[in-house]
Amino acid sequence: MPIAEMAEAFAAGLHQVLAPGTFGLMLFGIALGFAVGILPGLGGPTTLALMLPFIFTMQPVEAFAFLLGMAAVTGTTGDITSVLFGVPGEPTTASTIVDGHPMAKKGEAGRALGAALMSSLVGAVFGALALAAAIPVVRPLVLTFGSPELFMLAVLGLTFVASLSGEAVVKGLIAAGMGLMLATIGLDPISGTERYTFGQLFLWDGIGLVPITIGFFAIPEIIDLAVQRSAIARSTVGKLGGVMEGVKDTFRHFCLVIRCSALGAYIGVIPGMGGGVSQWLAYAHAVQSSPRRERFGKGAVEGVLGPGAANNSTLGGNLIPTVAFGVPGGVMTAILLGAFTIHGLVPGPSMLTPESRGGHLSLTFSFVWTIVISNLVTVTICFLFLRQLAKVTQIRGSVLTPPILLLVYLGAFAEKNAIEDLLLVLIFGAIGWAMEKLRWPRPPLILGLVLGPLAENRLFLSVDNYGAAWLWRPGVLVLIAITLIGALYPVFKRYLLRREQPAGHAAVRTLAFDRTALFTLAIVAATAWALWESRGFGLRAGLFPWAIGFPLLALGILQLFFDVTRMGQHAGTRSPEPAPEIPPAVLATRTVAAFGWILGFPLAIWLLGFTIGGVLCTLLALKIGSRERWPISLAIAAGAWTFVYGVFVEALHVPFPPGALFAWLHVSVP
Amino acid sequence: MRRRHLLPAAIGAAAVLSSASGAALAQPFYAGKTVRIVVGLAPGGGFDTYARVIGRHLGKHIPGNPTVIVDNMPGAGSLVMTNFLYKVAAPDGLTIGHFDGALILGQALGQPGIEFDARKFEYIGAAAREDVACGVSKASGITTIDQWRAAKTPVKIGGLAPGSTPTNSGLILKTALGLRTQVVSGYKGTSALRLAVESGEIAGACWSWQSMRVTWRKALEAGEVVPIVQVVAKPFPDIPNVPLAINLATTEEARQLIRAGVQNPAAFARPLVLPPGTPQDRVAILRTALADTLKDPAFLADTEKAKLSIDPATGDEMAQLVAEVLALDPALIVKLKAALYP
Repeated sequence: MPIAEMAEAFAAGLHQVLAPGTFGLMLFGIALGFAVGILPGLGGPTTLALMLPFIFTMQPVEAFAFLLGMAAVTGTTGDITSVLFGVPGEPTTASTIVDGHPMAKKGEAGRALGAALMSSLVGAVFGALALAAAIPVVRPLVLTFGSPELFMLAVLGLTFVASLSGEAVVKGLIAAGMGLMLATIGLDPISGTERYTFGQLFLWDGIGLVPITIGFFAIPEIIDLAVQRSAIARSTVGKLGGVMEGVKDTFRHFCLVIRCSALGAYIGVIPGMGGGVSQWLAYAHAVQSSPRRERFGKGAVEGVLGPGAANNSTLGGNLIPTVAFGVPGGVMTAILLGAFTIHGLVPGPSMLTPESRGGHLSLTFSFVWTIVISNLVTVTICFLFLRQLAKVTQIRGSVLTPPILLLVYLGAFAEKNAIEDLLLVLIFGAIGWAMEKLRWPRPPLILGLVLGPLAENRLFLSVDNYGAAWLWRPGVLVLIAITLIGALYPVFKRYLLRREQPAGHAAVRTLAFDRTALFTLAIVAATAWALWESRGFGLRAGLFPWAIGFPLLALGILQLFFDVTRMGQHAGTRSPEPAPEIPPAVLATRTVAAFGWILGFPLAIWLLGFTIGGVLCTLLALKIGSRERWPISLAIAAGAWTFVYGVFVEALHVPFPPGALFAWLHVSVP
Repeated sequence: MRRRHLLPAAIGAAAVLSSASGAALAQPFYAGKTVRIVVGLAPGGGFDTYARVIGRHLGKHIPGNPTVIVDNMPGAGSLVMTNFLYKVAAPDGLTIGHFDGALILGQALGQPGIEFDARKFEYIGAAAREDVACGVSKASGITTIDQWRAAKTPVKIGGLAPGSTPTNSGLILKTALGLRTQVVSGYKGTSALRLAVESGEIAGACWSWQSMRVTWRKALEAGEVVPIVQVVAKPFPDIPNVPLAINLATTEEARQLIRAGVQNPAAFARPLVLPPGTPQDRVAILRTALADTLKDPAFLADTEKAKLSIDPATGDEMAQLVAEVLALDPALIVKLKAALYP
């Protein structure tokens, strides 16, 4: 394609985005995305789906400026919530928590936000440019990925577990194995065998990333906030905590930011992998490439920069196969594909052909511009209000937790309009809390969960299509080499380090069976049960659970041995925070109370529905749980009701269940 | 999943009926009401898009002009929604379900998890059919059915989940026509199938020609992908020379398999249905409304823009075909099961 034609279409794309009507709709989309990104629970994909009905009357350029403008900024503003509250604003910004939130606790919220926003902007622009640059070469680029290569990429991704595990490698491997086992829940895609579904249809498609991420990362933090009863920031730092410092950090570590942007865009191109994966791989890469790995998990700014860049560049990458083949790279682009259909656009070569020859090239370039402009607008607005935003961390936790809990359950429900997902939030909240308290690394579990289905599906497709010959494909051989180098290098490095240092003093050996060992025992028991259940799965459906279950069982028993003999104990990835002294009795009471409210919300929502039960529980939690004064409690509850009823029921017609109690009593709720 | 600002489900059909008939003198039942079309699959997909385009225009063809809303209740290939529609949804004519009609054949074959009886649903109709054709890449070296028949090594045909149209079509053709074929299942949608064909991983795949000719237009026009066989009763006008599977079959048993396994389900692949026990007058209103919608120029302009093909099936027609599928000769059921679940 002549360069002149490309350049013309590139300019035309910008021109189209800047047309007043289109620009206005994009700003509206940005405003929505801004809010959705910040609100925990509610995610970009859910909101995109809710916005689909509104695009019928728009022109294609307007529709995509609106939808993409919204989608592009959720990752950026989602980082803000992750940093400030330790609660993921988006499922794709959970990794920003690991180092961003400790920074906020140290009083460096401003710096963390500056770093997150600036790296997000760099990542978004990089992703958009990748999309633009990929347009001429995209078809061969995507077509080189057959099933064998996709399988190997999933395996390569899994090797990053080592870096995500901190010092506790065995625990990390167990967590990843748990994630892989959890990924087998649902119908086996080839034989249709039910695996671990307990006869529940809602488990047929497996467990969603949204309720798990929410439960895993939000619930432990909410418990912590409720127990500590303090503001999020435990101390304040002067100039160093400033926003500009974070911006400077982005350029101090610019190479890392660019590498993570590239990683995010590249993972985005691969169908089936999205921001859920790229953020963790970027985080792992940030850890791996740092000479001082022990700082991570305690507020290292590189741990914010890496995922900040990657979760934003992923969208641009995701759009590449979407535009070129109609194969969505991620969840959000799967919904955007619906927008293509509604506007009669057929993804494929015509999207890459200039308008003069009947294509839609300048529309495709308008996507690039929308991503760039919407992130510029968002980051600028954020920087203007960042100081105020960072002050949120000084609000007392007791006011924040009830509305956050309501939002968390709202988001879990709205993804699939399934009330059962609230139960998943509870279960994974409990597991996440136990893992946090007992210093188990949580990220490997998420990575296993996301990569598991891809690995299993593509392994069988590879074997079915090529037999054993898939192993000899050049792409596969290259990926095997990279995987081996990646996996063995840290082992080798550690070996060298250990030779230089004298062996550590032997720990005092006392046999003890405490709650640490109890948790490990629970994992071992669950794995044993899962293996027992899998005896009737047959080879197709059983191979994956067996291949993971038996090593997992062995590792679990090994860890149990460590726990009981107190051998091999290391600090986890997250160091204990210097918590203010709270007497154990008070601590226990408050923890139980926090659990009570966390359990109370889904119960109230199930019995009385979201508008009545959810809001009522918010009010009670504020008044009774947090002992707030009536005016504050009522004002927040009223705000919550307006949000739930006004936005979700009236404007968006989200089908909330009416409440089981009303159904039993045969009463209608007006 | 029930409407909240409307008459509640729980009061029961009787109460609804009496209030409705009382009010009927003054104004139609649907006046001021909200009708929900619940899609059993995720937002953004083909089923969702059809439902949304229909939902935009259906309201103005129902007396009383209710608001029509489209919701999604995804899960288990729309089985979650279909079970919900059968067991939970109120039969008040305000909840319309849209699901993958392949589940109906699944019921006939005893697919696990099905808790509905498709014969008891009230069929409003369908906007489109799902008539299957198989597209094979030129690069595979198989571009005619004769070459396929003469193939020395199995021709790889892609499939999705068990019970899906692409998987079923491949397996039925393999058995009925005795083609040397390997059905590779497990791809995550027809877009993934297209990609796998273009990268040479599989030779081809079979799904609705109405969708294939739009999403694969460039490759079909360039001759990189060739429609090799169509599994329909009469040929599509745009591919008159592509052979019909039914004509290639040599035994009556093979023809029965093709009809019961692929051809007949095409008519009820995208059904719009009401819960069992919905009052007949409301079923009739909605059937008329759908028929009017499918002729509405504004609706047709929308579908034209979205390149959605419109090939209606009436509610009566669908109910009859569904009854036929569920009354198949047990011997044929055994053969279908053997073909589809090898």
